[in-house]
Amino acid sequence: MANDPLVRLDGITKRFGDTVALDNLTLDIAQGEFVTFLGPSGCGKSTTLRILGGFEQPSEGRVLLRGEDVTRRPPEKRNVNMVFQDYALFPHMTVRQNIGFGLELKGMGKSEIRARQDEIMAFLELEAFGDRYPAQLSGGQRQRVALSRALAPDPALLLLDEPLGALDAKLRAQVQQELKSIQRRTNKTFFFVTHDQEEALTMSDRIVVMSNGRVEQDGTPEELYFHPASRFVAEFIGETNLLNGELRGTDGDAVVMDWFGQTLRGHAPAGVPPKGAPITASVRLEKLDFHKERPATANAVQGRVVGKTFLGSRMAVDLTVEDAQGAHLKAYVDAETGQSVGDAPVWIGWDGKTAWRCCATEIRCPGRPFGRPGIALQPSISCFRARRKSRMSRADFSSIET
Amino acid sequence: MNRKNRIILSCVYWAFVAYVFVPLILMVLMGFKDSNFIGFPIRSYTLEWYTGVFDDAETISAFVYSVAIAVLSTVISILVGTWIAVLLEGRSFWGRAVVFGMTVLPALIPGIISAIAFRIYARYLGIEPGMGAIIWAHAVHNVPFVVLVVMARLSTLPKSQIEAARDLGADPLIAFLRITFPYLVPAIMGASIFCLLLSFDDFVRSFFLGGYEPTLPVLIFAKLKSGMSPEINAIATVALVLTAVIGVWAERFTRRMNKDS
Amino acid sequence: MTYEASARKERGAAEKAPADRTFWGRLSAWAPYRALAAMATASPRRQFLILAIFPILWVLTQHLGPMLQMLRVSLTDAYPVAPGVEQHFTFDSYLRFFQDPLFWMPFFRTLIFAGVFTFCTLILTYPVAYFLARHVSRKNQMLFLLLLLIPFWVGEIVRTYAIMILLGNTGAVNLVLRWIGLIDRPIPFMYTSFSMGVGIVYLTALYMLLPLYSALEKLPKSMNEAAADLGAGAWTRFRRVTLPLTLEGISSGCTLVFLISTGFYATPVLLGGPSTTVFAETIAGFFHVAGDEWPTGAAFAVIMFLAALGISAAFQRLMSALRKGDTK
Repeated sequence: MANDPLVRLDGITKRFGDTVALDNLTLDIAQGEFVTFLGPSGCGKSTTLRILGGFEQPSEGRVLLRGEDVTRRPPEKRNVNMVFQDYALFPHMTVRQNIGFGLELKGMGKSEIRARQDEIMAFLELEAFGDRYPAQLSGGQRQRVALSRALAPDPALLLLDEPLGALDAKLRAQVQQELKSIQRRTNKTFFFVTHDQEEALTMSDRIVVMSNGRVEQDGTPEELYFHPASRFVAEFIGETNLLNGELRGTDGDAVVMDWFGQTLRGHAPAGVPPKGAPITASVRLEKLDFHKERPATANAVQGRVVGKTFLGSRMAVDLTVEDAQGAHLKAYVDAETGQSVGDAPVWIGWDGKTAWRCCATEIRCPGRPFGRPGIALQPSISCFRARRKSRMSRADFSSIET
Repeated sequence: MNRKNRIILSCVYWAFVAYVFVPLILMVLMGFKDSNFIGFPIRSYTLEWYTGVFDDAETISAFVYSVAIAVLSTVISILVGTWIAVLLEGRSFWGRAVVFGMTVLPALIPGIISAIAFRIYARYLGIEPGMGAIIWAHAVHNVPFVVLVVMARLSTLPKSQIEAARDLGADPLIAFLRITFPYLVPAIMGASIFCLLLSFDDFVRSFFLGGYEPTLPVLIFAKLKSGMSPEINAIATVALVLTAVIGVWAERFTRRMNKDS
Repeated sequence: MTYEASARKERGAAEKAPADRTFWGRLSAWAPYRALAAMATASPRRQFLILAIFPILWVLTQHLGPMLQMLRVSLTDAYPVAPGVEQHFTFDSYLRFFQDPLFWMPFFRTLIFAGVFTFCTLILTYPVAYFLARHVSRKNQMLFLLLLLIPFWVGEIVRTYAIMILLGNTGAVNLVLRWIGLIDRPIPFMYTSFSMGVGIVYLTALYMLLPLYSALEKLPKSMNEAAADLGAGAWTRFRRVTLPLTLEGISSGCTLVFLISTGFYATPVLLGGPSTTVFAETIAGFFHVAGDEWPTGAAFAVIMFLAALGISAAFQRLMSALRKGDTK
């Protein structure tokens, strides 16, 4: 028992009719981790959360909590609590009563409940609001009440279902810090679900990127950002330039590719595909530097500025590379450099070792134009349709993937 | 053009208001007439008929009888109707449409047919005509209204409320009693008052299922059959004032409750 | 760290079961309740069955049962069955209906009356609903509507009686007419189809008004303005835009009023005369006398129910066909 992880998802598959929401998901979560499930809507992250909470039952597979099989156990019999997306505070109960709800049902005595309420309210700075009703609270306060209510019964695992979605941008940044610090101070295991990659990067110890009911990549925020394992992850996390080309071969550690006639060098994460295979490189926007003359960096192309967007601390510059059949690149540079570049062609350089990665081409969404910087997408299509489409497309292109 | 339309339409509206109110006002007035003979003009007035209502044992007992029937049938309708609403709302199962159709059926059957059907069924079940039979018929007849009102309210309860309660350790029954039920209270209050009034006002079912003791509408009907008299006006006015006041109060009450939540 | 300390303390406390638990804590820890709850929630299927069994039984036995029993009785020759008498299956009760004009005349009269009264109600309430939805400010709409709702709460008998006072030979209408000098002797309004019509329209007007009002209220004002912009006159606008778009309200209001109108018993008895006997009175007649007439009464009720339902359904179909034709 002692060696069992806190949570083990063992081959979880969930089907809703014909659609597969989760496809053979296997995953361990250790005690004290802040794990974030990240993905577009319909990727299966919420289904995973609901299966952990006991609101859905998997079609196949088992859920183990401290080594104990809880797959068929209803929510009230699991030592797992949840912070809901809309908080789900009980409107007819005061803050104190909301927090006490779970404690009462645990069979605690009134005096004990009172002590625990006081303690948790002090912990989350809610002392002044004990006798207020949820309708009398601000968004941030409600969020804290929801958190206190879920923490009060001392759950083994805390589930958070996009709990920051309803807050405005400024408050959200503050609450992110708070959540992280609460997690550290309580040493609780947080299972956080979001579609917001920035949120995930800020708070998590570990991020699981999901797409189409499968895990795309599982790693630390840094790993995900700098070493995306797939095109999907590269596109979904941060902003990136995706360069489609053809593999030429290897040169020591580096992979050499041909990008519309330009030779580029970089690192491939795992296994080098055969020569001549189509390949996609991901170059982060901030890794591109501007030079007057051809730089000595491993990669250098000449481009022309076609658009500039001032973003305060930095500037986003759109470029076309005429030598590469007019392909587009996007770069973040500091505001001064941005202002200084004019109509004259500039040299764009980036490092061949650390600055960019190659990844085997994976065609997930054939509708998306290639060769343009992919911007983290917020899909607006309903999850089921999106899932069905991409499923089909994956089958169509399966020969390319291998 | 628009202006002319508007004036014509507002005349129609106020004429309609007059049509709706004048008969009732005349009826109230007639109760003050100092004569045994119903008819205009009224030459002298008296309070005798109204004070007489409160001395008349027959009227008082019919009133009490009606109220008792209304209260008891409402309790049954509310319990059953809420249960059916909880089953039907937000749940899809095989045959749901059929169950829903059967649920609203009593509200769609024309009055006399429903009364006859209840009369025959009461006989079949062995319920003797009288208070029990009336309560039963009123309860069944009013269930559809409760179901519709409660379902409408229930459909606005976020699913996450129940899930949160379950998550915090409440089994389905405790979650219902502590979360769903408090949420439904305004709807249940509104539906109760509606049922009370429907039952109190009902004639045709009470008439066909009643025993020797008349409910208030049946008593007024019987008195009317044997001739009009200001005494009937007084009784009818008491019933009118009571129902109208409760009705208006309920209307305002439910409106306020809905606004609050 | 206080948080951890208390968490540990609480874990220990849960085992002791403190004496001052709350009601809900006590209930959910109470062994018989726990056993019962565990049994009931053992599977989602069982949980659903426990929830569903009572409502389904109730609607089957209490909502559908009376109608089915009525149908059964209508097909027998004697009910309630006297001891020693055998009950037979027969269509006689239904055949009886066609044999005597005394039976079928009131039947057709009822349907015609109900149709005519429904139409009158529609004509009367449409302008009222239109006025409420279009010409009254949002703020006042509820107030104006509430004003009309008050009499709705007053019972059928009381309101019928009010009409009797209004239309009697010495009633208010005759008094006013005489006072103006239009007539010398009172017009006998009472105990005619006219008095019955006034009474039934009076009783049903609200069932028409509410669906019409909600249909008109949903209609965006811009629709009418667009039509006006395209050069449609007031009458054309009404006929081509407003009317077709409120057909649904008209259809549900008329169906409701028609069904209710066929079911009135007390109002025709009090306001009508010998020449206006409706089918409800005919049916009721069988239940006042000896028991062996019940099957006939039941059969007649079945006939009326089917006729009323059939006409309503046909009417609704017609209206929805009209609606579709218009949107094409």
